[in-house]
Amino acid sequence: MGLELFGSMMKEEWRLHSTMFGSLSFALFPVLIFGIVFMSSFLLPLFRAVLPAGDLALIITGVFLLLGVMVGGFGLLGNEVMNRRFGQMSLLAYSARSLPLSERYIFTNFVLKDIVYYLILWVFPFVLGFAVASPFIGVPPGYPLLLFASLTLTFLFGLSAIFFLSTVYSRSKPALAIIFAAVLAIAGWAYLSYGTGLADLFSPLQLLHNGTWPALIESCVLVAIPFAVSIALFTPEYTGTSKRFSNLLTPLTGKLSFFPYPPLAAKDLVDLWRSGGGVGQVIFSFLLPLGLIWFFMSVLRALVPDYAVLLVFAVTAGIISATMYTWITSFDTFCSYACLPVSVSTLITSKICTFTVLQVIPAVFMVVVTVITGGILYLIPAMALWCAFSFYSLSVSIYLTGLTPNVLVYDVKVLLAFMVLVGVPVMVIIALAFINPYFGIAALLLGIPAVGLVRKGYKRWEGKDMASF
Amino acid sequence: MVMVIESQGLTKQFGDTMAVDNITLSVPQGSLFGLLGPNGSGKTTMIKMLTGQIRPTNGQMTVLGLNVLNDPIGVRKSVGIIPEQETPPSFLTAMEYLAFVGAVRKIPDIDEKAAWWFRFLEFEDKRDVLCKDLSRGTRQKLMFAQAFLHKPVLALIDEPLINFDPIMQRKVKKYLAEYVKSGGTIFISTHILEIAEEICTGFAILHKGKLLYSGAISELSGKKQHLSEFFFSQVQDD
Repeated sequence: MGLELFGSMMKEEWRLHSTMFGSLSFALFPVLIFGIVFMSSFLLPLFRAVLPAGDLALIITGVFLLLGVMVGGFGLLGNEVMNRRFGQMSLLAYSARSLPLSERYIFTNFVLKDIVYYLILWVFPFVLGFAVASPFIGVPPGYPLLLFASLTLTFLFGLSAIFFLSTVYSRSKPALAIIFAAVLAIAGWAYLSYGTGLADLFSPLQLLHNGTWPALIESCVLVAIPFAVSIALFTPEYTGTSKRFSNLLTPLTGKLSFFPYPPLAAKDLVDLWRSGGGVGQVIFSFLLPLGLIWFFMSVLRALVPDYAVLLVFAVTAGIISATMYTWITSFDTFCSYACLPVSVSTLITSKICTFTVLQVIPAVFMVVVTVITGGILYLIPAMALWCAFSFYSLSVSIYLTGLTPNVLVYDVKVLLAFMVLVGVPVMVIIALAFINPYFGIAALLLGIPAVGLVRKGYKRWEGKDMASF
Repeated sequence: MVMVIESQGLTKQFGDTMAVDNITLSVPQGSLFGLLGPNGSGKTTMIKMLTGQIRPTNGQMTVLGLNVLNDPIGVRKSVGIIPEQETPPSFLTAMEYLAFVGAVRKIPDIDEKAAWWFRFLEFEDKRDVLCKDLSRGTRQKLMFAQAFLHKPVLALIDEPLINFDPIMQRKVKKYLAEYVKSGGTIFISTHILEIAEEICTGFAILHKGKLLYSGAISELSGKKQHLSEFFFSQVQDD
């Protein structure tokens, strides 16, 4: 029975993704990861000249830790997300409750399914890409195996930590607060004691550095304990909440009256605020990736002038800012609007307005980065580049994905089209900005194709059946 | 007799599946018309086409004299719709959702109108609770309220009473009957024949996407037949 349930859950996960993205497109996703890592591996010798190998390992470990956290978080929120997108459709993890199986047993299978599925989707192709490239870049033959063990354990630690925290949360919120406080206190003490070497205490990273049995055992224990505690403490009861909220929508609609569709924009902002995703999204989907990117780019300072690093960062920040479109589309199914006189183009226009409001966050961020890095002289071209690429990338997203950018992110065809449509202007504009930083202001001309793409997007998505959104 | 819904040769194909097959149907004004059929017979697809949510593969249709293909927004402005899956937005409260619908539909005095519906459907205590935390029955009450908030002349309702308790069912059935008496038209889809027999004035039977029969409930009393007997005779013959 165990294998049957596990196998069915695996099939369900595959069919869920392949239905959304198309079988071929989704099957190509690990191939894409493999290809990107394989090609990027050849850049490692160049990077090594300016970036210590330890720092690079730290960054990759951080990315896989984040991946584990995100997969764990999504797995636990899965039912709610799926309900929003597919209405009454439910996952086996929930419908299997009608079978003579314990909730704990179903939950264990669900966790194992998540582990195997995402290892195949992300971790294996990543390590394989590196392993295939390793003979050509002078990496010792055993290193990819060590990388595989380290990244797998890092990913599993992120996943198990989230399962553990969510289990504690479902049992007792004060207990979660105490755990958070304890972790912060220990981290603070460790930082004071070990300084920046603190990350080296993370046993999966130690395993990568040293490749010793104690590091491997310690990493396994680090993963196993939170998992075991989560499953032992797992409580299946859904505790519904009847928390009350005052009417936020009506005053907000009034404040946004200068927008073309104030109630729609107000609803987007209320969704974002109440989902609790606002702060988390800003940290995990914006500040953290940009922090990593800034870290990577700062190593280029040895090769190019400071202003060039700033301008390339501004372009990157623009493209990352455009992902805020996924924040404001992830709460809706079009079914919510199907009984109202609202067209797809109206909704997209309203989302563009909400997106514009959210751009205050990256705008402030860009000003702060420019000032901190001493690039105040280049504030105008940096802001022009950020702004132009943010809205241009948004228009490409709208044209390619309509109201479902988050669903189509795994679709390789769409992803490649996005990379071409954004990549070509990026290269042209960066080349111009390198000649003279103020030539970067020419990026604002991207507003013309952006308007064209949005108009084409309206026509394209208006022609689709609403029920398919 | 004025027809509020007219379809001619309406067809919808999803891949190899013929969900709705060449349906010609008329619904007169002031009727409570039931679209009956087993699960998967094409009822929901019909409602989705009539309200411009999906496009037919073939055929034409008008709702309140408007061509649905040319003016789906115009149709949705004029009618009230309760979809099969009650999906009010997760992070709005019940009151905020009605205020949202009011703002989109530009309905004046929305607070008073919403308050009336909270009282009438007996869920005043849930007005400030997030929609995602409401029970199915309460969500259906909310969807019912949003459909009638602007007093439409025609309401299309997919499975109208399925999540209501018997007391609320009686109350809602009475409301629908009075609504029709005052000149409104209701188009419901259901597979619960007892409800259809009790409240509908006209009906059509759909099976495997095909229209098997369309007529008035009164025709059955002439034949001394209950709706359920007639339904099964039609569906089994097919």
